[in-house]
Amino acid sequence: MTLVRLLFYVMSFIAIASALYAALSKNLVRSIFIFFVTLFALAGLYVIALADFVAVTQVVIYVGGILVLILFAFMLSGKETLNVIQQQKGKFINMAKVPAVILAVLFLAVIVNIILKADADNLPWVKQAIAQNNEITPANSTIENIGVNLMTTYLLPFEAISVLLLMTLVGAAHLSRKEGSA
Amino acid sequence: MITLTDFLLVGALLFCTGIYMIVSKRNSIQVLIGIELMLNAAILNLVAFGKYDKLNNGGQVFALFAIVLAAATTAVALAIILNVYRRYKTIDPDEIKNLRD
Amino acid sequence: MNNAISYTDPSIFCYAILAVALPLFAALINFCLPVKSKAAGWISTLAILVGCVLSAMVFAAVWNQQPQHVQTLWFTIGTTKVFAGILLNNLSVMMLLLVSLIALPVHIYSTAYMKHDDRYSRYFTYLSFFCFSMLGLVVVDSLVLFYAFWELVGFSSYLLIGFWFTKDKAVQANKKAFIMNRIGDIGLLSAIIIIFAKFHTFDIATLFINDNLVFKSVIHDGLWISASGQIPAVWQYVACIGVFMAVAAKSAQFPLHTWLPDAMEGPTSVSALIHAATMVAAGVFLLGRVYPLFTDSELTILGVIGCFTAFMAATIALTQNDLKRVLAYSTISQLGYMILAMGVGAYGSSLFHLATHAFFKCLLFLVAGVVIHEMQHIKEENNLDIDPQNIQYMGGLRKKLPVTFIAAVVGSLALIGIPLTSGYLSKDGILIQAFEWSEGRSAWLKLIPAGALFTSWLTAFYVSRLIVKVFFGEFRLLKKHPEIKLHISDGGWQYRVPLILLAICSLFPLFSLNPFFYEKAWLFESLKPAEFMARENIYHTIIPIGVNILSVFVMYAAYAIYVKRNTFSFPQTGFLYRLSYNQWYLDKIYRKAIVKPILGLGKTCFWFDRNVIDGLIHLIERSSRMVAALTAWSDKHIVDGFLHLMAALVQSIGNFARKFQNGKVQYYLYSMLLIVLILFVLKILI
Repeated sequence: MTLVRLLFYVMSFIAIASALYAALSKNLVRSIFIFFVTLFALAGLYVIALADFVAVTQVVIYVGGILVLILFAFMLSGKETLNVIQQQKGKFINMAKVPAVILAVLFLAVIVNIILKADADNLPWVKQAIAQNNEITPANSTIENIGVNLMTTYLLPFEAISVLLLMTLVGAAHLSRKEGSA
Repeated sequence: MITLTDFLLVGALLFCTGIYMIVSKRNSIQVLIGIELMLNAAILNLVAFGKYDKLNNGGQVFALFAIVLAAATTAVALAIILNVYRRYKTIDPDEIKNLRD
Repeated sequence: MNNAISYTDPSIFCYAILAVALPLFAALINFCLPVKSKAAGWISTLAILVGCVLSAMVFAAVWNQQPQHVQTLWFTIGTTKVFAGILLNNLSVMMLLLVSLIALPVHIYSTAYMKHDDRYSRYFTYLSFFCFSMLGLVVVDSLVLFYAFWELVGFSSYLLIGFWFTKDKAVQANKKAFIMNRIGDIGLLSAIIIIFAKFHTFDIATLFINDNLVFKSVIHDGLWISASGQIPAVWQYVACIGVFMAVAAKSAQFPLHTWLPDAMEGPTSVSALIHAATMVAAGVFLLGRVYPLFTDSELTILGVIGCFTAFMAATIALTQNDLKRVLAYSTISQLGYMILAMGVGAYGSSLFHLATHAFFKCLLFLVAGVVIHEMQHIKEENNLDIDPQNIQYMGGLRKKLPVTFIAAVVGSLALIGIPLTSGYLSKDGILIQAFEWSEGRSAWLKLIPAGALFTSWLTAFYVSRLIVKVFFGEFRLLKKHPEIKLHISDGGWQYRVPLILLAICSLFPLFSLNPFFYEKAWLFESLKPAEFMARENIYHTIIPIGVNILSVFVMYAAYAIYVKRNTFSFPQTGFLYRLSYNQWYLDKIYRKAIVKPILGLGKTCFWFDRNVIDGLIHLIERSSRMVAALTAWSDKHIVDGFLHLMAALVQSIGNFARKFQNGKVQYYLYSMLLIVLILFVLKILI
C-alpha cells in the first residue's frame, strides 16, 4: 500500500461520499456547497492521474466560475424556492425517488459490468503505449506539451471552442436580459 | 499502482450519482449539479485514459475542452433557469410543462 | 252427367237449382245492403216468390212421375267417386213446394212485422239464407251434401233464434238450440259414416230409391248382410240410433225436445217459418228419406217415442201461459204424431200431416205474432210492465182483431182435427192407421193408438183454452188497468194477406175434394205405401166420429170453464198441474243431470288446465327464464367482461404510454435512460 494509493482511496471516498451527500441532501444550499468538496476531491484525483494542468483548470473554472454562477443563480431565484425546497424535508427514503434509485443502481451495475468485461488495463492500445514508452510518468511535466499541442494538433477545436464561448457569452447575456426591454 | 479500472469505477459511481440527481431532483439547480457531476465523471475517465498518451496529450486536452464547454453550458443553463423562474416563479422542472404561447 | 232417366226436360233441374239458389242470392245482396235498408225485404220476398213459382213448375212436372235424378262428379278419393246432384221425387218436390209456399207469406208478413227493427236487412239476410238451406236440404241427392245443408239449417236457425241477441234469454235459447242440435248432428254424421262404410256410396237415390240397397240388405244371425259385404249387425242399430238422434234433435222429440220452446225467443215470424212449419219438419223429412233403413222393431220404438212425445207435449201445453210456448208444445206434440205415424208404417199419412201441419201451425204462429204485436203496442203506448206474450192478460180480442180471429179459429180447428179442415184429413189418417197397425199386436203396443187418441182430445182442450183466453170473454188487461187506451187493429195488408192465404190452405179443398175421407186426398194417394189396406176396417168409421164428437165436447168444456164460469179454475197446486206447468221438470232434470256435471267437468278441466298444465308451462317458462338469465349473466360477465378486459388493457397501455408524454423533462430523460439501459442489458445478455 503506497501513499499514492492511500491518497487515491481517500480522494475517491471523499469525492463519492460528497457527491452522494449532494445528491441525497434536500437542502439546496448544502447541496451546492458540498459540491465544492466533490470538485476539489476530483481535482485531487486528476492530480493522482498525473494531469496536474487539468486539475488546476478544474479548480479555476469549476470552483471559481461555475460554482459562483450556480450560487448567483440560486440567490437570484428567490426566497420562495428555498422555502419550498426546505419544506420537502421528511423521510429519508422518498417513494417518489425509488425509480430513480433503481435506474441509477442498474446503470451502475451495467457500467461496472462493462468496465470489468473491458479489462481496461489490458487494452491493446494501452499495452502498446506502455511498450512504446508513451506513458506519462510522475517525472514528466505535461504542461508544456499541452500548450504546444493546443496550438498545433488541436488548433481547430481550440478555435471552435473560443467561438463557442463567445456565442455562449452573447446568448447568456441575451437570455438574462429583462423581458420587453429588447 | 493505481490501475485504470480503479479510476473507471470511481467515474462510474459519480456518473450514476449524477444520473440519480438529474432524474430525481425537484430543483433545476440541483439537476444542473447532477449534470456537472456526470461531466466530471467523464472528465475523470478522459484524464485516466490520457495517461497513456504522452505525445499528443489527447485525453487531457479534451478534458480541458470539456471543462470549458461545461462552463459554457452552465452559464447558458443558469441564464435559462433565471428566465424560467421569472416566468413561472418556480424552478421545479416538473412544473414547467408549457411551451411559450 | 249421368242422365239415367233422361226423357224429362232437363230444364226441370235448372228450375229446381234456381229455386234453391235465388234465396242465396237474395241473402248475399241483403248482406251487402245497409242494415236498415227497406229494400232487403222486397228482395227476399221477390226471390222467394220466383222460387215459389219455379217450385210449382217443378212440382207439376215431377209429381207422380218417375223420380228425376241428375248428378255430377264432385270429387274423388282414391277409387271412391263422390257425386253431387239433385234428386227430385214425390217427397222432395212436395217439400220444395211446401217450403216455398210457407216461406212466401212469412216473408210478406215479416216485411211489416220487422219494420221497426234496427237490423231489418240482416233479418232478411238470415231468413233468405234459411230458405236456401232448407230448399237445398230437400233436393240434394248425396248424404254428404244433405249433412252440409242440415248443418246450415241448424246454423241459420241459431242465427234467427238469437236475432235479438241483446236479450239474455235469446242468447241462452240459441245456445241451447245449437247444443241440442249438435247432439243430433253427431248422430246423423255417425249414421252417414256407417252407411258409407257399408254400402260405399253417399247417393240417396242408389241407397234408398232406385236400387234400394238398404232395403235389400238383411240382418241375419248377428250380421248385417248386403250385396257389398257384411258387417256386425250392431252397426245397423248404431246407424238407426244416430238417425233417430238427428230426428229427435231437429224435430224436437222426447229426449232432445227442450230447445224448441226456448227457441220462441226469436221473432214470431221466424218461429212460424222455422220452428213450426219447415225446419222442425226436416227430421220427419230425414225419416222419409232413409225410411228403408229402419227394421220393424226399430219402427216400433220410433212409434213409442213419437206417441210419448205427443202425449207429454200436449199435457205441458195445457197449463202454459205464454202464447208462443203453448204453440211450441203443440208443435212438439204434432211432430210426435208424425214420428208415430212413421213408426206405425203410415208413411204417407205422416208426410201428409207434415204438409197440413205446416200450413195451420204457421197460420197459428202468425196469428200469435199479430196478437203479440198488438199487445206490445198497448204495452209501449201505456208504459205497462207486462209480458206481451202472456195469455192471462188477453181476452175478448175477437172484436178488435176480426180477421185474426177468423184465421185463428180456422187454424185451431185444423189443429184439433175438425172435419172440413186439412188437419182432420191427416190426423185421422194417422189415428186410423195406428189402430190398424196395433191390430194383432201385444196389449202394450195398443197403448200407442190409445195414447194418440187421448192426445188428440188433450189437443182439443188446450187449443180451445188458448183461443178462448185470447179471443173470448173480456179483455183482462183492461180490467186490471181501466185507464189504458186501445188502438189496435189487424194491421196492414202485409198481415192480412198471409193470414187469409194460410187460412184457405188450412181448409180441406187444397188437399182433397172429399172433406171426410183422408185416403181420397191426392197428396196421400201419391205417398201411400203399396200395401195400403183398403177401406174395409171398422176404425175408418168409428175413429173420426168418436174423435170429433168428444173433441167438440172438450171444446165446449174449455169454453165453459174459461168464459162462462170464469171463477172455476184448475187446482194450481196438484201434482199433475205442477208436472205440466214445469214441463215435466225435464229442463230441471237436464240442468241437474247433464248441464251441471258438464259444467263441473268444465270447471275441473279448467282447474286442471290452470293448475297442472299452466303450472307445467310456467315451470318450463321459469326454467327457460333461468337459463336465459344464466346466459345473460355469462354474457354480461364473461363475454362482456372479456371485452371490458381488452378495453381496460388497451386503456391502461394507452395511459401507460401517455405518461411518457406528460411534458416533464425528467420523465423523458428517465425513459431515455431506461431504454439505453435496456439496450445495454440486452447487449450484455446476448
